[in-house]
Amino acid sequence: MNAIEQPVISARNLVKRYGKQTALDNTTFTIQPGRIVGLIGPNGSGKTTTLKAILGLCRFDGELTVLGMDPRRQRDALMNDVCFIADVAILPRWLKVREAIDFVAGVHPRFDRSKAERYLANTKLTPDMRVKAMSKGMIVQLHLALVMAIDAKLLVLDEPTLGLDILYRKQFYQNLLEDYFDENKTILITTHQIEEVEHILTDLLFIQDGRIALSASMDEIGERYTEVMVEPHQAAAANALQPMTQRTVFGKPVMLFDGVPRQQLQNLGELRTPSVADLFVASMKGSYQ
Amino acid sequence: MKPMEPKMKTMGWLVRREYWEHKGMLLWVPLAIACAMLAFALAMAAMGHNAEIHMDMPEGKASGVTIVMGARQQQALADMAATTYPMVAAPLYIAMAFMVFSYCLGALYNERRDRSLLFWKSLPVSDTAAVLSKVALALLLIPLGIVVLELATALLITLVGLAVLAYKGTNVLPLLLVSPHFWLTPLKLVAVVPVYVLWALPTVGWLLMVSSWARSKVIVWAVGSPLLTAMLLSWANKAFSLGMNMEWLFSNVISRLLISVVPGSWFTIDALRHPVEHAGAVAENGPTAEVHGVVDALFNGSWSAVATPHLWLGAIAGALMIVAAIWLRRRREEG
Repeated sequence: MNAIEQPVISARNLVKRYGKQTALDNTTFTIQPGRIVGLIGPNGSGKTTTLKAILGLCRFDGELTVLGMDPRRQRDALMNDVCFIADVAILPRWLKVREAIDFVAGVHPRFDRSKAERYLANTKLTPDMRVKAMSKGMIVQLHLALVMAIDAKLLVLDEPTLGLDILYRKQFYQNLLEDYFDENKTILITTHQIEEVEHILTDLLFIQDGRIALSASMDEIGERYTEVMVEPHQAAAANALQPMTQRTVFGKPVMLFDGVPRQQLQNLGELRTPSVADLFVASMKGSYQ
Repeated sequence: MKPMEPKMKTMGWLVRREYWEHKGMLLWVPLAIACAMLAFALAMAAMGHNAEIHMDMPEGKASGVTIVMGARQQQALADMAATTYPMVAAPLYIAMAFMVFSYCLGALYNERRDRSLLFWKSLPVSDTAAVLSKVALALLLIPLGIVVLELATALLITLVGLAVLAYKGTNVLPLLLVSPHFWLTPLKLVAVVPVYVLWALPTVGWLLMVSSWARSKVIVWAVGSPLLTAMLLSWANKAFSLGMNMEWLFSNVISRLLISVVPGSWFTIDALRHPVEHAGAVAENGPTAEVHGVVDALFNGSWSAVATPHLWLGAIAGALMIVAAIWLRRRREEG
């Protein structure tokens, strides 16, 4: 690989309107290869529209390149290298496990049948089982088996674990990390269950009202944001540094700072890196007002 | 040649996919109808083996508990059976019209309703290939499958009939087997399938287009909108004395959108129907040769449909509506 790698996704000034509603408002971001990116935003912020644009499933204005292709015009070719799980319930009810594997093996040049079968061997799914006889968790297992056996460059997951119990959710992300992800692949995830994905993400994209509110790697997040459990007598000094938010835990104010050097903060109290969930809540203040 | 191969392979899997989804309708329903007809024929044969048989034949009447025919009569019977036996199981063709109609109606709507469309779209299969695989199933594979099944059923029912006749003392099976018509008529029937493909294209195109477009209640849109349009037009026609030819509208537009999937519906064209009626009138009391005349007129009339502007204009309209269906599937944003 050469030093300057082509981004997997490069979006510039994407605009999409549904009637008077603006879903994408000059959305601009890039995603580099080999990353696991969380696209996180409140309901109606443009997450799903962004994914649809990337997958060539909706029209929009602006420049968008995915793996060097324009999804509006080269969708069929793009689907050789892109996989997506858009929702839990989209495998048709009449489909049998065997048929699903036969079909994808038949039409997808990069599908590795033995890999899918190996994965399914560890589940309760049998070849003659139909989707309508499966639990939600099993449907996702089947879908994941199909997707993981495809050697795609980009995997897009839109709320992949919605409605699953904690066991299936943990297993889903574990499989994704251990058996699928490598430096040649890129994964883009949207989810509301931030706590469950934050330890696997390498990058964060916060989206609000169709605009990218934050785009940073997890390392950059750690450097830029600091949470301080402030000693009560330092509260005034801490407030002077203009925290993003403030809440109270066990009688102590917990403040979140953006871009304040750690040396400046360490005398105020105990320091730590904020969770993505807390950072998200702090960044999205006023979203529903 | 090389770049075509993966496309053909994809097409093969797309068609198989349709078959999996509609196995009940495509396989079990026609088989059940065929078995029911066969069972009925067998029951009649079993019940009737002691009964008297009356036959009105061009060559005279035969009746009685045992039937002994002269060589000429046997030959005439065998000839008639050889040309007409493929029609014995004709109800299957009516079933086929319903199958093609309901299949097309749901073909592009069901995948949107159950949101599996997004799964199919996550695979490297173009909208064109997906829609064309549905067209191929509706226009080519269903008709060919039904023709084969119908011929097999008709042959079995005919054999049952001949067995009863043989039991009564007259075995015409050897004569039937050496009759050239016995072997030719099925081939002629298969040769009508291309006519059906072209003739049914406007209905298939219309149904697929509505199936791809309607947000709900596909059947209401598909059937209701042409009928409502016709109703409004005929009201306007009467109320304002516009002098439009409503009959023309019905036979050339409305019926082509809705009933052209019925095999043989091309005989609604007067120029094709008249020779058949003429041959039928001659055959009424005429000799066996005239029965052949009717059957020949049916086949010739079917092939002559290819020479009518009705067929080609309809086929072009159908193809355009299929293009529209592909475009709609490509552009759809819901889900």
